[in-house]
Amino acid sequence: MTGVPAAGSAILEVSDLWVGFPSYREQTLHALKGIDLRIEAGEMIGLVGESGSGKTTLARAIMGLVPPPGVIERGRVLFNGRDLSAQSDAARRSVLGRELTMVIPNPRAELNPVLSVGRQISNIAFYHLGVSRQEADRIALDMLRAVHIPDPERRFNAYPHELSGGMAQRVVIAIALVCSPRLVISDDATSGLDVTVQAQVLDLLQTMVREKGAATLFITRDIAITAHFCSRIAIIYAGEVVEIADRRRFFARPGHPYSIMLLAAFSHNPALRARWTRAEEIAGATPSTGCAFASRCVRRQTRCLNEAPSLRPLASGHAVRCHFPVEAQA
Amino acid sequence: MSAMLDVQNLVKLFPLAGGKVVQAVNGVSFTINRGETLSLVGESGSGKTTVGRCILGLIDATEGDVYFDGEQMGRGRNIRSKALRGRIQLVFQEPAESLDPRIRIGETLGEPLRYLGMNRADRDRRVRDTATHLGLPERALDRYPSELSAGLQQRAGIGRAIITRPELIVLDEPTSALDPTARAEIVDLLIRLQAEFGTAYLLITHDLSTVRFVSHRVAVLYLGSIVEEAPSETLFAKPLHPYSVGLLASVLLPDPELTRSSAIQLEGEIPSPIDLPPGCPLAGRCPFADARCKTEQPPPVMVAPQHFVSCFHHAKVAALDHTTDNFARFQEDSTRLLSVGAG
Ligand SMILES: Nc1ncnc2c1ncn2[C@@H]1O[C@H](COP(=O)(O)OP(=O)(O)OP(=O)(O)O)[C@@H](O)[C@H]1O
Ligand SMILES: Nc1ncnc2c1ncn2[C@@H]1O[C@H](COP(=O)(O)OP(=O)(O)OP(=O)(O)O)[C@@H](O)[C@H]1O
Ligand code: SF4
Ligand SMILES: [Mg+2]
Ligand SMILES: [Mg+2]
Repeated sequence: MTGVPAAGSAILEVSDLWVGFPSYREQTLHALKGIDLRIEAGEMIGLVGESGSGKTTLARAIMGLVPPPGVIERGRVLFNGRDLSAQSDAARRSVLGRELTMVIPNPRAELNPVLSVGRQISNIAFYHLGVSRQEADRIALDMLRAVHIPDPERRFNAYPHELSGGMAQRVVIAIALVCSPRLVISDDATSGLDVTVQAQVLDLLQTMVREKGAATLFITRDIAITAHFCSRIAIIYAGEVVEIADRRRFFARPGHPYSIMLLAAFSHNPALRARWTRAEEIAGATPSTGCAFASRCVRRQTRCLNEAPSLRPLASGHAVRCHFPVEAQA
Repeated sequence: MSAMLDVQNLVKLFPLAGGKVVQAVNGVSFTINRGETLSLVGESGSGKTTVGRCILGLIDATEGDVYFDGEQMGRGRNIRSKALRGRIQLVFQEPAESLDPRIRIGETLGEPLRYLGMNRADRDRRVRDTATHLGLPERALDRYPSELSAGLQQRAGIGRAIITRPELIVLDEPTSALDPTARAEIVDLLIRLQAEFGTAYLLITHDLSTVRFVSHRVAVLYLGSIVEEAPSETLFAKPLHPYSVGLLASVLLPDPELTRSSAIQLEGEIPSPIDLPPGCPLAGRCPFADARCKTEQPPPVMVAPQHFVSCFHHAKVAALDHTTDNFARFQEDSTRLLSVGAG
């Protein structure tokens, strides 16, 4: 139905997206506050932020599935030029699982416990690709091989509980990629895995999305992963993108104090780390007018408390939401 | 001088129905001196928690001995025994396990002191003093756990342990549930508290990026066996066991220049520790494995002072010259980066 887009065309265009969770007792919680994000065909963009910053909400909004009671308050999401939240359930289902897929953590919970893993992959191929049952099984076996499941013929008939966590995560990746999607969203997908297995799974994910020509939105709390697997990095804080840049530029010259605080967490020089960290204050101190990060920022000045900074370019392809960004000498 | 904690040839087997046996710990020995941190690192299922539980006397070892301050630990003398109360403490991965959701933080902190028979006034003073050491805002003492962030909750969990001024704290994955920034703050806290009170730590973790700078020594556990033990810098700069090399190469640092180049590729994944075959625990995944590795368990060999490796082929690993210490390089780069522009 959709042809291969020209280079540089956007697979995903999120513009000025606001998502809120209304509450009876308190004010509406704005989980996303004006997100702008463009993902081009074939690129792998890392979205990094701490717990509660809005990463999963953004992933759900992209799929047109903001969880209730959440609502899109403003802005829109275009996937391949279409707004999924405006589509019928049937139309959306034909896109999800085929053109737009998701990989999440805890693969065992994601998989159907009473269906063999080969059959689960095969079902997706059968349902979305319009091939024969036999052909779908053959495709599924190829996928098991491609994700390096040892002894794939035998494992085709294995049930999820018979697989290790790492192998189950490979099966989930196979399911996400079997229909050659345009965009894969990976939401914290490797966080539960051991480091050696995580490294293998990440390598695999990267190879597979490249082979299939998919773009990837790689969501994580761990900024270290993105340094090795993503072409662009976006940092999200309290529902706002606070910095976005190409990978090399970002890690050589991070501009936002929060980005630097994230990087400082990996330094083992307590004195330097302390320079970038302000003692945590107990919830509720954030002023509603100024910069959302001000209460934790070591560079804040009076202006930060009164005026919210906008996302401004620092260099080509590099934007920062801060009145006083760090302009490193590198 | 004998070590404060002395673990000798610890074995823990869990029999399963059908005659099978989980070989969770297979002959682990190490010591911890006063004021020292030993990290026990290994992947899920390697036996870390089981070792910790044997040390605390919460479960009896199948074989082997644990001595704390010269006396044997076990069911009869454990972390809960009156004679040891307050001298050994435990911190869990989930702060929720050490904090009662219905009790205010200040009260929870002071609780272990009640068992020591300290009076109210002394307790309150010690709680406030400990809160200062923890960097816990005074206001936090009146809050319930759920009103605090995960990082502050874990601070309180550590506070509850340190408040009795123990000689040893066993920390079982204390940072695994936290965001990287909160994790870093907990690591700093542990270092500060140790400098202040001279507490020894057994740090159980699979999070290698925090291990290097908190630990004096590191022991790498694989399928219930310590495959290598060395001073922290040595292990990170020049690991000699094929498994240590593979493990360290998997750690990602936030610098695109520091690529994971490993001279050794481990095959597959860690198998389950049920009815293990004889020989080296890594034999099934190791590129150097030969016939001997599959039948004979390699004994620990001292390759330098305090550096032990259990591998028949450690000389081949040494010859690979995989000496780029990414952790040290990252430290240099990040120091440069962080030295500009702070407030
Ligand atoms: N269904 C919901 N109802 C009410 N509030 C919600 C709901 N889902 C998310 N939120 C709130 O929206 C904010 C963003 O949550 P979100 O799950 O997107 O964060 P996240 O970045 O994915 O965090 P994590 O790293 O922990 O997964 C949080 O404050 C959260 O409490
Ligand atoms: N009570 C028990 N009965 C049977 N098997 C057990 C028992 N406790 C632990 N085991 C097994 O012993 C092995 C070691 O477990 P342990 O919990 O010590 O590992 P660990 O290194 O702490 O892992 P993790 O990183 O996942 O916490 C595992 O295979 C585990 O399934
Ligand atoms: S705008 Fe001010 S408070 Fe916000 S990040 Fe920049 S310096 Fe810090
Ligand atoms: Mg999430
Ligand atoms: Mg454990």
